Amino acid sequence: MINRYPDILRQVLKPARYTGNELNSVIKDPSQVKVNFALAMPDVYEVGMSNLGLKILYEALNRQPDIAAERVYAPWVDMEAAMRERKIPLFALESSRPIKELDLLGFTLQYELSYTNILNMLDLSGIPLLTSDRDLSHPFVVAGGPCAYNPEPMAEFLDFLILGEAEETIVEVSQAVAAWKEAGRPDGRQGLLKMAALIPSVYVPSFYRVTYKTDGTVQQVTPTCPEASPVIYKRIIEDLDQVAFPTKPVLPYLEIVHDRIMLELFRGCTRGCRFCQAGIIYRPVRERRLETLLKQAQELVDHTGYNEMSLVSLSSADYSRLRELVSALSERYKDQHVSVSLPSLRIDSFCIQLAQELQKVRKSGLTFAPEAGTQRLRDVINKGVTEQNLEDAVGAAFRAGWSAVKLYFMIGLPTETDEDIQGIAELAYSVKKLYMQITGRRDIKITISVASFVPKPHTPFQWYGQISLAEMERRQKLLRSSIRDRSITLNWHDAPVSMIEGVFSRGDRRLGNVILTAWRNGAKFDGWSEHYKHDVWEQAFREVGLDPAFYASRNRELNEVLPWDHLSAGEDKDFLIREYHCALSAECTPDCRRGSCSACGVCPTLGTKIVDWGNAEHE
Amino acid sequence: MSKLRLKITKGEELRFISHLDYVRAITRAVRRAKLPAAYSEGFNPHMKVAFASALAVGVTSDAEYMDLDMEEQIEPSEVIARLNAVLPPGIQVREAGYVDERAAALMAVVDQTDYQIMIPVTGAFSVADAQMSLTRFAEMEKVVYVRHSPKGKRFIDLKQYIAHPLEMENTPQTVQLSLSIKMTSGGSVKPSEILDVLVSDFGFPVQSQTALIHRTALWAAADGKQVSPLALEQP
Ligand code: SF4
Repeated sequence: MINRYPDILRQVLKPARYTGNELNSVIKDPSQVKVNFALAMPDVYEVGMSNLGLKILYEALNRQPDIAAERVYAPWVDMEAAMRERKIPLFALESSRPIKELDLLGFTLQYELSYTNILNMLDLSGIPLLTSDRDLSHPFVVAGGPCAYNPEPMAEFLDFLILGEAEETIVEVSQAVAAWKEAGRPDGRQGLLKMAALIPSVYVPSFYRVTYKTDGTVQQVTPTCPEASPVIYKRIIEDLDQVAFPTKPVLPYLEIVHDRIMLELFRGCTRGCRFCQAGIIYRPVRERRLETLLKQAQELVDHTGYNEMSLVSLSSADYSRLRELVSALSERYKDQHVSVSLPSLRIDSFCIQLAQELQKVRKSGLTFAPEAGTQRLRDVINKGVTEQNLEDAVGAAFRAGWSAVKLYFMIGLPTETDEDIQGIAELAYSVKKLYMQITGRRDIKITISVASFVPKPHTPFQWYGQISLAEMERRQKLLRSSIRDRSITLNWHDAPVSMIEGVFSRGDRRLGNVILTAWRNGAKFDGWSEHYKHDVWEQAFREVGLDPAFYASRNRELNEVLPWDHLSAGEDKDFLIREYHCALSAECTPDCRRGSCSACGVCPTLGTKIVDWGNAEHE
Repeated sequence: MSKLRLKITKGEELRFISHLDYVRAITRAVRRAKLPAAYSEGFNPHMKVAFASALAVGVTSDAEYMDLDMEEQIEPSEVIARLNAVLPPGIQVREAGYVDERAAALMAVVDQTDYQIMIPVTGAFSVADAQMSLTRFAEMEKVVYVRHSPKGKRFIDLKQYIAHPLEMENTPQTVQLSLSIKMTSGGSVKPSEILDVLVSDFGFPVQSQTALIHRTALWAAADGKQVSPLALEQP
């Protein structure tokens, strides 16, 4: 790449996005491996390189001597234009080979708004967009990640998907490809797909027929061959101490979004927030041992030279031995100028103490997520946080010297009324009052970030209709008019974007045509506000003849067949229904991590259990 | 505290990374090598390094110079070995030596830099035309280049920065230019700017966008002679 197209690289922004050669990247001799796998993120380099899941899979695959994993990200629009003009196909960063020559191309599906970028990358690779148009000369297009739990809108573009934690499955799938190639590709692409379908957690959409009722809802999803099982269950890694972790990650030259060491403390979160998909799909909680983490931290410091380490997990502050971990890390790395940070904080004073310890003198902003403005609504969503908790935490922060806080909220949550919206403003004002009481000063900065609630599959709110665009905008206005204070800043996500996300998150296969149409009409980088084109999407729905409100705003019946009912994170639907009812009556469900099991079904279904080193039985 | 001066390469592999990214790649390597580098005080301590000049994106080099403050003196040969063991492909330390702690900053002592420009030639390349173009350039007293930046236009006389006449060599596939550029406290010019003017105003028969530029040396002046910045002010 570098010497072939210096003129192009000289013109584009951040050419290092395309030139590879980073430290710790793994370059294998193609003639010495049996399977070539491109790991892709349908977003730019800086975003893709920050994804921990892809780092883990890169490590898992490259550990295998027979498999070469390479990376590829979405070229930014300037590079794309140059590539199209000069007919340069999308290429892999390690070998500069065209993606089309590899055996597998695996996308991580992190958010629905990246779907058009997948089509764009397939097109740039010269791979037919529809699975039915591909032949033996094309790679298998695979996907995983959170959106794989309802990939139906993308079903026609993806040969197969992997549900759940993929570090074992992805190797098994690659081995299947190697065996199939060695056997002379029996039965063509179908032959491999049938082999893959037999691997647990692999979903081959083309092996299922979907029928619809006259009202447009799904009637039935039926397997069309014996290899396809009626329900696909996710897989998880039971023992995180035994599984490979990338302690020699590729070290980018460019500054990426998360440009620091990521130490993964545990997977899963069982706090049970009812809007949260991650809270279901990563169950149950499984922690790494303290000793494992200390060892991995050391290797990461040695192999990267980063001066920042982030303790990542869904709710890192819940790690059972956090205090010991933090002291050990701060002690060990203080002289090496490595700072340690916690990306997500629980709302309590323990966390403030910790944050204080970690940040020592620097008092950058603290972030809290009450999510809703009133106690009633927080009970509806099972966010186990009281006004008092927030006051204690924020108060502790102010006493410790912080003067900036960020508060995250959602609007459009089930049962929300105008009172709940005003509650957000009131909460902000009470935080300000508290600051003035404690410090006697007025120099506080409060930032309120408001997202629009998007109902997600596999959550207790999966039946709940999203509020309309007009209603989102009305509630945003209402909130804006309730806040008149220079020390409080209000940010929000674009309502139209949240609506499109709502359509695709709970969509069915018919939406594939909308994605295709929107992409043909120029939609790409939809997650980047400067590239999002709402009129293109509206036009695409009209052209295809589908109503976005049918997917996003309609309240669904509890007995309706949902497009993703054949895909399972292990949860019982009955549990989600129970939680749905608890929500409506504002009843809380406790965390099962150290308390009693709330019978979500995941542990028995997967034959696994919680691993928490704070639990007496593990000590 | 000791000041260690290093001569480092920037190879083909990282041709297109920016100077800032290059500096970060080196400081991370210093950390991986566990060298006793000195840090600034404050909430956000950073490693004390200083470079002679920032290399443009797209340019490789055999001769980048960097000063690194060390808490402890370690044999230069050991520093070289430890760094080279952990540096990414394309960056290698070629030489190292301690200079006086109070030595003038690298940026202030360097005054000339040499480049080679390699350009692939297209079918119609004529050596005579190329020679003619260089001769015309050499004969001009003044050659004005218009530099556009976000701050506006600047008119720069390129000739005042040319240290030696340009030299050309060619093979059937490529033409290679060697040039020496003066670096002054008032500024300097980029080799790409000289090439641009050669092509646009003097009819040098190549396409400048396909040029590969490589820095071959960086010089400091001592007693009227050009010396390597490493040869200055040994303690
Ligand atoms: S089955 Fe019980 S213990 Fe396991 S994750 Fe679900 S609620 Fe928690």
